[in-house]
Amino acid sequence: MTVEIAEIAGFLERTPPFEALSDAERAALSRTIEVRYARSGSAIVTAGDQNDRLFIVRSGAVELRLAGNDLTARLATGSTFAYPSLLRGGEVHNTTVAIEDTLLYAVPADRFHALRDSCPRFRKFFAEGEAARIAHALKDRQQAAGFQLDREMAGKLIRRSMPVSCPSETTIADAVQLMHARDVSTLAIYDEGALTGIFTDKDLRNRVVAAGLPLEGKIGDVMTPSPLTLSTDSSAAEAMALMTSGGFRHIPLLDEAGALSGILSATDILAAVGNNAIDLGVMIARARTPKELIEVARRIPESFTVMVDSGVHAAQAMRFTSALGEAVHRKAAQLAEAELGEPPNRYALVVFGSLAREEQLVGSDQDNGLVLADETEEKDGSYFEKLGTRISDLLDDCGYVYCRGGIMAKNADQRQTLAGWCDRYAQWISRPDEDRILRATIFFDMRHIHGDASLSRRLHERTVALVKDSPLFVSYLARDALRSKVPLGIFRNLVLETADDGQRVFDAKRQAIMPIIDIARTHALAAGLDEVGTVARLRALAQAGKMNRDDAQSLEDAMLLVNEMRIAHQARQVERGEAADNLIAPDTLSPLERDYLKDAFSLIRSALEALRRNFAGGIA
Amino acid sequence: MFARWRFERALRSLRQSDHSVLRDYANAAWPQRDCRATEASYLALDFELDGLRKDAHLLQAGWVPFVGTTISLEEAHSVDIRSSAELDDTAVTIHGIGEQRAANGQRLRDVVPELIAMLAGRVMVAHGEAIERYALQRATRALYGVDVPIWGICTLVLEKHLKPRLVGSQAYRLGPSRHRYGLPEYRAHDALTDAIAAAELFQAQLSRLPADATLGQLERR
Repeated sequence: MTVEIAEIAGFLERTPPFEALSDAERAALSRTIEVRYARSGSAIVTAGDQNDRLFIVRSGAVELRLAGNDLTARLATGSTFAYPSLLRGGEVHNTTVAIEDTLLYAVPADRFHALRDSCPRFRKFFAEGEAARIAHALKDRQQAAGFQLDREMAGKLIRRSMPVSCPSETTIADAVQLMHARDVSTLAIYDEGALTGIFTDKDLRNRVVAAGLPLEGKIGDVMTPSPLTLSTDSSAAEAMALMTSGGFRHIPLLDEAGALSGILSATDILAAVGNNAIDLGVMIARARTPKELIEVARRIPESFTVMVDSGVHAAQAMRFTSALGEAVHRKAAQLAEAELGEPPNRYALVVFGSLAREEQLVGSDQDNGLVLADETEEKDGSYFEKLGTRISDLLDDCGYVYCRGGIMAKNADQRQTLAGWCDRYAQWISRPDEDRILRATIFFDMRHIHGDASLSRRLHERTVALVKDSPLFVSYLARDALRSKVPLGIFRNLVLETADDGQRVFDAKRQAIMPIIDIARTHALAAGLDEVGTVARLRALAQAGKMNRDDAQSLEDAMLLVNEMRIAHQARQVERGEAADNLIAPDTLSPLERDYLKDAFSLIRSALEALRRNFAGGIA
Repeated sequence: MFARWRFERALRSLRQSDHSVLRDYANAAWPQRDCRATEASYLALDFELDGLRKDAHLLQAGWVPFVGTTISLEEAHSVDIRSSAELDDTAVTIHGIGEQRAANGQRLRDVVPELIAMLAGRVMVAHGEAIERYALQRATRALYGVDVPIWGICTLVLEKHLKPRLVGSQAYRLGPSRHRYGLPEYRAHDALTDAIAAAELFQAQLSRLPADATLGQLERR
């Protein structure tokens, strides 16, 4: 039997992937380890050498100088390196230098291979590229969490399976009798095999009794016509987001054949998750005065914390926060219209940036604009100026603070006719320069919120078409993406920024999320895809064969992973009553999280590298 | 200056010993004084004692042999030593070695030959080397009637040489010394852990010395 070296076995027990080994394996391993000391500045392994050791950083830090370029990766305590050379039979590709006084544990190659054979998790840890490691990290996290909004099918949440229905010709009295007899609160209105509307208890109260309508009237006149529907295999998350942004509580679900299979109510979802986002969405939709809207909107950060605490995943938390943001924007426009009177002409309120991508978290500023119909006359300008100003002010009061870059309906630049907008985009696209690109990328993430959707859609379609035929513009986009400073490895001085309080931090948004967004946007626009969300873009790229499916999935995973960390970070800040930011101090992360983060950085770096090769190569 | 001369003279006299372990010790392949410190054979050694008295009993021994700049743990060894002594309460609390365990340990007369054989041809490395030297020589005197000569390097003395201006004796203790070289914190008062800790400190110190420093330059500093 083997007597362990206590200090080493103890260290291995808290260091991935060695934590996955049995006590006996760790004890045996601790005996085979060699300890080495490397003074700051000395080389540990050199490119071209033969290596037969796996190295673990016990204390200090090392820097991997990646072969073939200027990139370096920094590894701190608990990190492993030099295993790629073991996997390919010895030759070292990356020179590794101690950048601090460093104590190393070296595991002989034969032990390394034996452990890969005997322990699947150990093997997985080293066999995989960074991409696969992130996928596993996510899977582990999601399995650890409880209810999975994104996996659960909406159809399965309906507690009553058979919807009760009647044709729109039915009298209100008969319809209500039917509801009473079948004990349902929601009625589906069906005509010639198609769903034409729904009618709920509340509609009876508000539209019939309170309005003093006779019960002999037709149900078709008081129902909610052409309700939004989802298919039964939509996720609970989708249903929840739809309710949250639309401010309603019932969604008819259609089966594959398009037939009504049931009506999902907010209560069904609440019963499954216990989440208040829908309530908030409903309250936003119901707000009748600016004061009411502001009151509800200010509760969004709190609702966000509740979501995160109840184990809602990053993607969902972003989606709900975006859905609530969308609802607030729409309501702000409606209230502004109510104050100023009917608009003299058609217009659309559009949003840009994170809200457009449905990737908003709390603490975002506002980015919006008005698209006016081309026939809008000079004299209508003052109405839209007032409207834009009112919307921006209202949003600011709601917590969507003024955009520092001035991208808001308040400013004349952001209120243009469709033709005016098209010209503006055409300028960016046909005559790109670095400075312009920097300010313009946000405009290529755009979404319709309120008003005449055809205006927004036409602008979007034209923009996408223009970009597709402009390789020069795409190359500028790519170059812009390449400017982002992705950390080169783990958290040692050089890669960190200094926060206001002097702490060393890493900017999760700027240094990890933005590059992924940029990568997806550049590829998507180059391919002429009209998706706006980053995940939607990545999936569409894979679907269209424009990006390797694994690469797309990995980037999606990496974004999700960093967002999870970022969201957990922000939820903690909101809880402490602090303003939410994206500056994460590395020492608040577990060694495992840091490992995954390193993988994410590495992945982003190679995706940027691919971007450079594919799009920026000519001029960068 | 004369340390090596005294050491070799003592070795010569051991060659006539009645005890084969001592004869083997004397005849081992000892490194030369001009051997590079980064290439020599060492044995890092630590004893846990039941007090600081001159006649304190050995409770535990930990050692790890290493060559040059790599500490291989394959032959690292830890052993509890049986002691019939009344255990001094305070010391026992520090080391966590109770009377029970001490009574179950190996007999000193079995441990010492093993240790002597391991030390043969190797330079002893310890933090506060005098304690290990004294305790081991007291044991060999009791068992063989002779003080075994020990070629030792004291990391504490070396540290005072490398960092002469530190204030207070605390600064030269094992933990604080290691800290200065970026070495991790270890749980103290386990003989083997302390031996490994001293070996690592020695590595760190070696990295601060000229690459061609010899054993001769390191002894008795």
